[in-house]
Parts: sequence; structure tokens; C-alpha cells
Amino acid sequence: MSGETLLPLAVALPLLGAALLLALGHVIPKRASDMVALLLALALAGIGAWLAREAAAGPVTHWFGGWVPQGGRPLGIAFTADLAGAGMVCFIGLVFAACFAFAWGYFEPAGAMFHVLMLVFMGAMAGFCLTADLFNLFVWFEVMSVAAFALTAYHLESSAIEGALNFTITNSLASFMMLGGIGLLYARFGLLDMPALGRAAAEAPGEMVVAAACCLLLAALLTKAAMVPFQFWLTDAHAVAPSPVSVVFSGVMVSLGIFGIARLGGTVFAGVPAAQGVMHGLLLGLGLASALLGGVGCLQQRHLKRMLAFSTISHTGILLGALALVSAQGKAGMLAYLLGHGAVKAALFMIAGILLTRCGGIDEIQLRGRGRAVWPAGIVFGLAGLVLGGLPFGTLDEATRLLDSAAAEQGLPWLAAPLLLGAALTGGAVLRAGGRIFLGWGRVSGEEERAPTEEEQEPRDRPLWLMLAPAAVLLAAALGLGGPIAHFALTAAGGGEMPAETPNPWLPWAAIGLSLLIAGWDLGRAHLPRWLRAPVEAASGPAFALLDRLHTGRVGDYVAFMLAGLAVLTLGFMLG
Amino acid sequence: MRPRLLLALAAALVLVPAALLLAFRMPEFGAHPLPYGDAATALMLHERHVTNMVSGVNFDLRAIDTLGEEIMLLAAVGGAVMLLRGARGEGGQRRAAAIPGRPIPRRSEAVVLLCRLLAPVTLLFGLYVVLHAQLTPGGGFQGGVIIASAMLLVWLGEGYAAWRRMLPGPLLHALEGGGAALYALAGLAGLALGDAFLANVLPPGESGSLLSGGLIPLLNLGVALAVAGGFAMLFLEFLEETRAPEEGEE
Repeated sequence: MSGETLLPLAVALPLLGAALLLALGHVIPKRASDMVALLLALALAGIGAWLAREAAAGPVTHWFGGWVPQGGRPLGIAFTADLAGAGMVCFIGLVFAACFAFAWGYFEPAGAMFHVLMLVFMGAMAGFCLTADLFNLFVWFEVMSVAAFALTAYHLESSAIEGALNFTITNSLASFMMLGGIGLLYARFGLLDMPALGRAAAEAPGEMVVAAACCLLLAALLTKAAMVPFQFWLTDAHAVAPSPVSVVFSGVMVSLGIFGIARLGGTVFAGVPAAQGVMHGLLLGLGLASALLGGVGCLQQRHLKRMLAFSTISHTGILLGALALVSAQGKAGMLAYLLGHGAVKAALFMIAGILLTRCGGIDEIQLRGRGRAVWPAGIVFGLAGLVLGGLPFGTLDEATRLLDSAAAEQGLPWLAAPLLLGAALTGGAVLRAGGRIFLGWGRVSGEEERAPTEEEQEPRDRPLWLMLAPAAVLLAAALGLGGPIAHFALTAAGGGEMPAETPNPWLPWAAIGLSLLIAGWDLGRAHLPRWLRAPVEAASGPAFALLDRLHTGRVGDYVAFMLAGLAVLTLGFMLG
Repeated sequence: MRPRLLLALAAALVLVPAALLLAFRMPEFGAHPLPYGDAATALMLHERHVTNMVSGVNFDLRAIDTLGEEIMLLAAVGGAVMLLRGARGEGGQRRAAAIPGRPIPRRSEAVVLLCRLLAPVTLLFGLYVVLHAQLTPGGGFQGGVIIASAMLLVWLGEGYAAWRRMLPGPLLHALEGGGAALYALAGLAGLALGDAFLANVLPPGESGSLLSGGLIPLLNLGVALAVAGGFAMLFLEFLEETRAPEEGEE
């Protein structure tokens, strides 16, 4: 089958599957929806892989309804699979397949409805990665959100409903901003096709309408990507969503915001110097801030899913930092980091799910030592923690080296250090939790004791191997496929060869060392002399307290921060 | 003053002047030329024999957007249904819930008569709006909502239990999912015939006739089924909600 025919199937198959499951949900056998969903996810991965093969020779394009543009002005909607988009589709299929295997039978009480929503979610993500039409991008952005809102609230405790509500309000505002930005561009140019818009905008680069549209679109995508100061919803939503849903949220959904910025930056705003300037300057700052804030927030948590959610903010900040370098190598680093981090974070949320079903809790301190019964999960958890903390091996390491060398090329040789500091903080937090839960270390706790927590459980309804296998496979892929993934990312971004030497080869070692030091410090706090502990606690205490005070859980506060973020972006454009 | 208000005001200090400045840089209100609209209108009028341009754009030129919108509605209804059922702790009862001892007020005969008269007329009007999608303002979304309100008139006239017997939940799900599936399958037809996805493979017919527009009437039918089923399903779940036992009731 030619790639051009295959392209629309990436969206049509999951959506058709969802519609049929909904229609026939009452007559098909119980496990059939699990099976259908798993097969469709695998099919999507296959389609993505096939498209990537075809796209290696050049982007594949499909005009819906056969409306191939005649005489320059595109009227219809196109899907275009370049190498990066096709790779993302394949990755989305794999993460969903792992998630469906992990959640086998878990959502039986909801009937087929869970699978209907998840398949809609999956199809929308594929559409988001493939579309070349700005309004179509908005449609998939919105479908993705609508499916995600309901999935978040599945448990229906008051915290779940609050988290889902905050998620709904902030992300709906993001949708409004996106629609506003699209409206501005359409009013000015009468176009929605992204490449055509890019050509039109390049001829009117200094116009305020273009800058304002860019501002609104960036704010919307930064909200989805949960970057400072648009990030508050993420921790509330990820902490309360059922673990299989969190797997998809952190594994793919959040980083799609960054992917969207890359897509718009490379098409619509490619010829607009003001937009490129803001991406290179302001977004770099936001990425750095997110990486550090996420890292510090992560270290403070004891609720495991909340901890992982903060770490997602931190690592997505690294993605934004890599993208903001505005170079092919930086983009390649971003893409490789996205794939590697998605796999590792999905695996970590699966282990959190195992703890919820097997050990009856999600609280690091309550679970101390109780993870011994599921020790194989501990191995995956520990390894994943090391990877997050900067282990000099595997996909994330290759991506970090790309990022480091791209930064040096742009005259920012120091950039990788603060980004990796954020990663080291998250690695330290995860390793600390692993040591406490699976090894029973760290009797006396520290700041994390004052962090918010909750009693939570998920039903023990699946064999351990079925939950652990997808996590292990994802982690193994992230560790083992580093070389090929980096090569793929470089080809997709047109970034040439893998750099033989990086400017700061010591950096990953420093990061992983710092991770281990942090974990060891926190776990062995009881044995440390008071004079050593006091100054560190004097420094970390106020930082943690400030972060805690910012994350109020009140959506009005979050919206005020979003407004402030939009204002900062506006200033960024005004002051150049 | 609350800190968040201060923050919002500070942001407004930047955003309000920027928005005002922007408003004066926009193209003038109603300014021509509008190249996209003009081109789309000409194309739909001559190649598809459509007289309602909104349907022409939504169900032919940008038909994939509309598939997304339809699926969005399906996901919104599905999500609401899943959460409401989860809150009641049940998996979609086939019959109406009833609480023994809670009185059901009698319906007045005037209401019954009016509903029996209006429900079929409303249904007919809904079908009219759906079937004339390519000719006059309206279409699957609007007509689907009108059809759903005809179903509500049945509830008002015949009572909840009778309504549930006539329109069981699985049937509504089948309408909802079936409508969306019809849309997607119609899209695949183009692909199967060697053309593009959602290619308008049917003949355009005669301008002004019910069968003009090729695939557009069929796609509207799919949307109408999904919208009618979805809205009725949503209504059903909210009505079940009122039947949940209150404190002290069993």
C-alpha cells in the first residue's frame, strides 16, 4: 500500500474503531474491547513505521477529498507525514499498545467506554502529528483535550474531580487562545494551510497581527506542554488520573505541546524573525525555568504520581530548551529526548500503578519496605530513576549529547548544565522513592513528609507480569535503542552526523552523581550530623515552602498565572 | 487585595493596550476580497451543485474537520456518561430506575395531548433540516438536536418509564456510534475506490434537488444519527441521576 493511501488511516482507523465499539459495546464479549484496542494501537504503530519508511525519500502528503490545490491557493486539508511526524505516530501507537496491555481488564466497570475514549484520544494525537492545516490542528488539539478531561476524573473522588476540573478550565482556555490565534491569521491571509501560511507570513513579517497570532498559539501550546507559568494544571491532573491514563498523559500528550511548537515554528512562523527571536530567547528561559522548578518540586513530593508529574514538567522543560536552540541539531536532540523520556516516564507510571494495585498505596513514606513483595518492579523503577537522573547510556544520553553540542554551536556552552541539574533533581527524587519503597531505607523522612498526600488504591485484578512486562519493554527500548533513535532524530531534523565529541563530556557523570548524592542524602538523613544537615535544610526549606504555596489547587490562581504568561509573551514580542 | 488579582491586573496592563493596538491593525470589518470564501463558493456551486455553502465547506472541502467535530461530541457525551454512571455505581441499567415510595405526579391530559401532537411534527422538522443540509441553512448537527428534542417530547408526554422502554440505552449508543461509523466508512469508500479519503464519490445531482451534493447528504445523516443519539443519551443519564436514592430512601 502506498504511503499516500495509508496516511488518512492513521486517524480513520482509531476513530472508526471507537465508533464501532460504542455502537456494539453491549453485544460484544467483555474482553473484546481490550483486544480491539490493543490491535488498533499496534496497527497505528505499524502505519507510523511504514510511513516513516516512505517519508525517508521525502514527505508523504494526502489531500482529503482529493482537493489538491489548483493554482496556488489550498482550499482543502492535507496530512503531511515527514520523518518526525511519522516517527511520532509510530511512538504513539507503541505507548498506547503498552498502555492497553498494562490496563488489561482494569476498566471493566466502565464497559467499552474507556476504550472508546482512549481510541479517540489516540486518533486525535495521530492527527495532531500529521496535519498540515492549522484549523485541523486545533480540531485534534480539542478532541485530545475532551477525551482527556473525562479520563482524568474516572475515579470520582473529590480530588479527582478537582484535578479534572482544573485541567478542563486551563486547557479550554488554551483552546480559546489557539482559536483566537488561528482567527487572526485567517482574517489577515485567508489561509489555513500551514506551508501556504508560512509563505504568506514571510512576506509580511513585521505585522502585528502575525506577532499576536504567534503569541496566542505559543501560549496555547505551552499550556498543553505545561511550561512555566502555564504548568499548574499538570500536577493536579496527573496525580489523580488512573495510572494507565497517566501513562499516556506523561508519555505522549504533554510533549505533543512541544512537538506542536516545533511544527509551527518550522512552517507558519519559519520566515518571521520576531517569532524566531522569541523562540530562541524567551522560550529558552521558560524551558530553563521549567526544568529547574519541576526538579525542585519533584524532590519535595511524597505522593508518587505527583512526584512523577513534577518530573514531567522538568523534562519537558529540557525539550523546550533543546527546541529553543533553533538549530537542526537542537531539534534532533529534542526529538530523541522526547521519545526516550516518553518511554521511561510511561514505564515509571506503570510501576506507580503496580504499587497502587499490589501494595495498596501511592505514598512513598507509607509504602516504605512494602515494595519488597514486588521486587522485579523495583529493578525497573530504579533503572528508570537512574535514566532520568542522567545515566550516561541509552536514548536520553544520546539526546543530551546532541543538546550539549547544539548549545555550544549556538554560543551557549553552559546551557546543558542547568537543564541537567533539573534532570538530576528528578532522578534523585525517584531514586530516593525507590530506595524507600523497594529496599525499606530512609526511616526518618525530610521535607517530603510535609507534602500533600492521599490514600489511594486500585483494584488488584491483573497478574503482576502483565503489568510489569510493558514497563520493562519500554524501558529496555529507551536504553537499548539509543543509537538508532538518535540516528533517526538526526535524519528527521536534517542535523547531519552524530557529533564525535561533546563540549562537556563530564556532564552526565556529574548529573548521575548528583542524583545518587541527593537520594543518598535524603535516605541517610538520620545518620548525618546536625551541622551538615542544617545549612542544606535552611536553603531547601523556603524553596519548597514557596512552591507549595504557589500550587494552591485553586483554578483562579492558575488562570492568573496563565494571563501573566501571556503578558510575558506579549512583552517578548513587543521588546523584540 | 488578593495576590492573584494583583497578578491578573499587572497582566492586563500589558494585554489590554496590546489588544486595543491590535484591533486597529486588523483588516476592516467585512472587507473584501475574501479569497477563500469566494473560491469555495464558486467551487461548491459549480462542481457539487450545492446551495448551502456552509455544508459545502464543512462536509466536502473540510470534511475531515467535521469528522473530528463529530468525534469530539461523541467523546464529550461518552465521558459524561462514564462519569455519571461511575458516580451511581452501575453499568448502564436497561430499565428505568424507580424508587419505591416516591410518588410520581400524574401528567395533565393537556400536556399529553400537546406532546403527542408535537413530537411527530418535531421529528419531521428535524428530518427536514437534516435532509436539506446541502440546500438550505441547517444540516446534521442542527437537525440531530431537533430530532433529540422530539425524543424529549415523548418523555414529557408518555412518562419516563415508557420513554425508556421505547428508547433503550443500547439503541441510543448504537445510533451514536453507528452515525460516527457511517461517516468514517463513507470516507473509506473514497479510499477503496482509489481516490482520497472522504472524496465525494457520488454524482453531484441537479442543483436544488434533495439528491444534490453527492456524499454530503449521507455524511449529514451520519452526523444527525450521532447527535440525536448522543443528546438523548446525555438526557437519559441526567434523568437517571434524579432517580438516584436520596438520603434515607432505599
